[in-house]
Amino acid sequence: MKHLPAPKGWAQPLLQPSTEPWAGLRAAVAAGPQGTLQRLEGAARHQPTARVTVEGWRAASNATGSERYVVGHAYEGDPAVFTSRLLLEANAQSVVEGLAIAALTIGATEAILAVRADEAAAIRAAETVIAAGLRDGHLGLNAAGSGHEITISIHPLQGSSMISEPTVLLKALDGKRGQPEQMPPYPSSIGYRGKPTVVSRVATLAAATWILAHDAAAYAEIGDPAQPGTLLVQVGGSIAQPGIIEVPTGTTLADIIAATGGVSRGATLKALLVGGPAGGFIPAQLLAATPYSDAGLATVGAHVGSGAILALDTTVAIPELAAMLARWSADEACGKTIPCRIGTRRLAEIGQRFVDGLAGPADAARLQALAADVADSALCAHERLAPTPLLTGVRYFEREFYSVAATPVAASTAKGRN
Amino acid sequence: MADLLDRPALSDVPPSSALKVGNAAGVAHAAPTGATHVSDEAAVERLLSTRSPQRPQRTPAFYVEVDGRQLEAFEGQTILEVCRANGIEVPTLCYDPKLPGFGACRMCIVDVEGCDQPQISCSAHVEPEQVIATQTERLREIRRTNLELIFSDHNAYCLPPCQNKCPSHIDIPGFLKANAESEFRESARIFKRTIPFPSILGRVCPAPCEDHCRRDEVDEAIAIRDSHRYAGDQVLKAMWDDDLDPPVPFELQPKSGKRVAVIGSGPSGASAAYYLLVAGHDVTIFEKDPEPGGMLRYGIPQYRLPKIEVLDGEYQSITRLGGRFECGKMLGRDFTVADLKGQGYDAVVVAIGCYDTNDLGIPGEDAEGVIDGLDYLHTAALGLTYPDHAGSRVVVVGGGYTSMDCARTSVRQGAKEVTLVYRRDMKDMPAADEVHEMIEEGARAIFQAGPTRVIVDAQNRVTGLEFIRMQLGAPDASGRRRPEPAPGTEFIIECDRILKAIGQGPDMTWASVGADGVATTKNGRLKADAVTFQTGRDGVFGAGDLRNGATTVVASIADGRRCAYAVDAYLQGLDLAEIRNRQTLAEPQPEFLSIVPFTGEVKEPRLRLRALPAEERRNDYVQYEIPYSKPEVMAESTRCLQCTCEAIGFCDLRRLGIEYGTTLKSLEKEHHGGAGFRSITENRWTGANHDYVRDDSHAFILREPSRCIDCGRCANVCAEVVGAACYDFMRTGFDTLVTTALDMSLNESPCVSCGRCAETCPTGALMPKPRLLTKYEVDESRCILCGICVDACPYDALRSGFDFELAHVDRSEPMIDLIALSKLERTSEATFIRGESDWENTVAGRRYDKSRELPVLPSNLRGR
Repeated sequence: MKHLPAPKGWAQPLLQPSTEPWAGLRAAVAAGPQGTLQRLEGAARHQPTARVTVEGWRAASNATGSERYVVGHAYEGDPAVFTSRLLLEANAQSVVEGLAIAALTIGATEAILAVRADEAAAIRAAETVIAAGLRDGHLGLNAAGSGHEITISIHPLQGSSMISEPTVLLKALDGKRGQPEQMPPYPSSIGYRGKPTVVSRVATLAAATWILAHDAAAYAEIGDPAQPGTLLVQVGGSIAQPGIIEVPTGTTLADIIAATGGVSRGATLKALLVGGPAGGFIPAQLLAATPYSDAGLATVGAHVGSGAILALDTTVAIPELAAMLARWSADEACGKTIPCRIGTRRLAEIGQRFVDGLAGPADAARLQALAADVADSALCAHERLAPTPLLTGVRYFEREFYSVAATPVAASTAKGRN
Repeated sequence: MADLLDRPALSDVPPSSALKVGNAAGVAHAAPTGATHVSDEAAVERLLSTRSPQRPQRTPAFYVEVDGRQLEAFEGQTILEVCRANGIEVPTLCYDPKLPGFGACRMCIVDVEGCDQPQISCSAHVEPEQVIATQTERLREIRRTNLELIFSDHNAYCLPPCQNKCPSHIDIPGFLKANAESEFRESARIFKRTIPFPSILGRVCPAPCEDHCRRDEVDEAIAIRDSHRYAGDQVLKAMWDDDLDPPVPFELQPKSGKRVAVIGSGPSGASAAYYLLVAGHDVTIFEKDPEPGGMLRYGIPQYRLPKIEVLDGEYQSITRLGGRFECGKMLGRDFTVADLKGQGYDAVVVAIGCYDTNDLGIPGEDAEGVIDGLDYLHTAALGLTYPDHAGSRVVVVGGGYTSMDCARTSVRQGAKEVTLVYRRDMKDMPAADEVHEMIEEGARAIFQAGPTRVIVDAQNRVTGLEFIRMQLGAPDASGRRRPEPAPGTEFIIECDRILKAIGQGPDMTWASVGADGVATTKNGRLKADAVTFQTGRDGVFGAGDLRNGATTVVASIADGRRCAYAVDAYLQGLDLAEIRNRQTLAEPQPEFLSIVPFTGEVKEPRLRLRALPAEERRNDYVQYEIPYSKPEVMAESTRCLQCTCEAIGFCDLRRLGIEYGTTLKSLEKEHHGGAGFRSITENRWTGANHDYVRDDSHAFILREPSRCIDCGRCANVCAEVVGAACYDFMRTGFDTLVTTALDMSLNESPCVSCGRCAETCPTGALMPKPRLLTKYEVDESRCILCGICVDACPYDALRSGFDFELAHVDRSEPMIDLIALSKLERTSEATFIRGESDWENTVAGRRYDKSRELPVLPSNLRGR
């Protein structure tokens, strides 16, 4: 995926390599753990949805026991999204430095970077930074003169998309069955090997580095005040210039599409799929009014998810895509809980009935009821979000769903198209 | 003694030494004193965070509110543990008390005030001042959805369909198995658990079970009726020939001293009397006719049910238990219900059946020659020929077994021409299976015609009967299409006799004298509760046809048995209303019909009973069917697929399915809203489901993955308690299954045959097989005293003895805390069986056999 240059005026704390390597770590050493936490909280403006939330860091630093871990999370659950990989390739320095800062802050000696095993360039970039850090004394037994030991290791992983779920990731690192655990207890109290652990996305770690190297107040000025910072967004589909772009939170979806060169020539935008395979459909007419942030996307039934935006033109049949995505979620389920193992599959089957024109009058109500029950008894985000494509599809493209379902004649044509 | 010494030692030493104790590495002697607390806390924390039953419970206590009750909870407990400790039932399927909460079944969700999503109580820790609700409307809805999701992929069944369809729920696979092993007395005993008369039913039962036999999916249904007929006949034969008492299904209870009067000696009365006698009560049966038997004797002809050999023989099982018949005494004529109370009877069961034949309701019905079919059969049963029957032309109206008996008896009595007329189609006829035999014997049958008037001559004698053709309309309440007259299609059959056999109703005149409180329903039947069988009068119970209207023999017998249990409970002084509630909860039998055809079975068509040729039997009252020989009945019984679930009665899924109405209820029309669900896998979420292969290869553990609900308990117990890790979640998504690697046989896995997986399984997916091995040989010269057998044994059959310090492993922290495990109250298949087998050897709640104890050192030498 190509790194798209952002329009003028958009801050680039993540993808722009720092001019002064290890400045963030040095600042963290100078501020001490409590000072570091205060600065990060200042940047987040104490907003619970902020990009850099430090609750987990604080909880882990307050946890009992001396053995703690930091896990840098670069494993993408969405098999078509490469934002973490691009971040590592473009700015491994900030990520590695962020790991060291987190380790220092919570008092961990060991930090692990979990990466997809096939992302060789990203792994090489991180290895280079770690080797340089060890050579120059920024890492190792007396990291940056702090008196603390910080060891950073890279753990390549390969497997199901469920590994991106934090509790599954911790189990996968430990070589155990890849199934999620109930939270609470959060990883900050029982995590990797049963010890207090901070699991942070690599983008969060890079942001932490920027905040310490620059200014917390400056970071708080970026983007939506309720959720300051930037997000890495991968835009694809019917787009003139597909690629990854760093977007300040709160930017409207229309602006993001415009920044990536707009819709492909000759195509008419119908909707965006925001959030990856478990994301929501947002119709074209809502794009200008929908800011790209947790709160903004929640109002239209979507979520940031994997950070993917897929532009869909008018040739796309929403029911088919929604049913296909539901089936993908069902097939990727780890099989631990019943609502996920059977429930998501049943959702996919109901969706497929809409596509095939076989849906009965009760199926619309069943879809809503099952989606609500699956989400309410969900163990992890996978099953909680799995119904989103179908739910938003029915919400915004109701006519498309029912036009197939209503007439038996349409069933044959729908089948013929497949 | 070590205990007493240790304690002062700990408090005496300076803090730095205490640190040594706390720190496993033992290198902290140089650490500053301030660190002592940290290290101690770390030790405490390590103990607290050990998520297992060994966790000390002496943690700080606080109060939480659960369902409006203030409960004491301890720090570190889960919400589920608090609920269970206080008797609040939270449903779970995947929780095993030996292990930390797993959170897979999502059944134990509870509402915690302040949380926007329901919390999983098996793994969420309780916190002070929490307000918890375990049974809100929303929670029950989510749980029901989860259960329905499980059932939609639960390609299995509880009761076999034959047993389910039997009105008396006989253990059909059970007695067929005994038959196949030529254990015919045992077979009859199993049969008598639900019906006391295997030989009678073996002749007269319409066998609704055979219509639903799953062997039909291979070739043909099993001859269930003929098979128990053989077993019953063996018991009768032994009784007549060797004076051997028939087997009794349950242990005879000691005499209670209570007296029960049963009025009516027909199927329901006799069945009620039988089970009351087994329960230890003194029973007297009153009968209006000169001989006991009711409809069995006077309604069913000799050629179908031989009176002396079979009926009298079977009724001896009542007299041999001490039951007394008082014949020739009619309720309402000779005595009243109130009289019986006066004679010292503690309870009265009224089971006088239906003897009032329904009228045709057409002109000319009072003509000479219009005869009540039951009267006719009654006369015939006494061995008398009805006057002038020979040579007459007879029309029988009706389609039930009575009409069939009338027609076939008429043939035997020499009637010139016998015509049976039924208003519906043949397939809707209750006695359809006998029609071909009747026609063979020379009668004829006309369907879809109803009588309109009797044609009489000047002396008001019958000369014919006019009929009108019926066309079939919309289905009625019974599911059969309602016959409607087609105008202009009248026709006349000339005849001399008309036998009415269109059903009977009860005679309730007795209720008017000396039976205050006894009420009648709007159908003219006795009003009695369907569960407690109580009438409006205290101590008076009603059962059988009197309560239900004319039904089959098997349904009457089932009613009589259930009534006997109600009377027994009444005589014991139990609260019938409470039993009623419990029964209504437990009674629905989930209708688990598998949709899997048994393609792998060898085709073996059913052995049909041979019959005498029609020319012979039409002149004869001898029983015309030739019974099975011993090899034949064994071969026929072996055909049974034994499609019963071994876990029935222990299955958590079934229990929850009944509680949450996701079993039989989902098949009811008002539940599914007309969607027409037919089996348990059909509900709101019906879709693709799995059909796994049963694994019979292991000697001790039977695996039936189709019954698996993927709770993961076996995998967790096997890995974390036993240490073998035979099972795990295999594959992903919908196809995930908890099974062995590559689905291989347990024989190929590290299985140690401990049976813990079968013990923890909430359904019947893993079951202990009956063990053929009775004793193991231990080669003590090769034993290294590792103690793993002691740890792993789920039944506490091995214990450590005094040589235990020779073991090569540190035994101070056993892998499994057997003491803690044995205190856990959990009734499972295994503990149930264990509880049955050695219930007498119980000490302080633990079962053990003293003879198994190894010698221990005398107490004065211990502790040195």
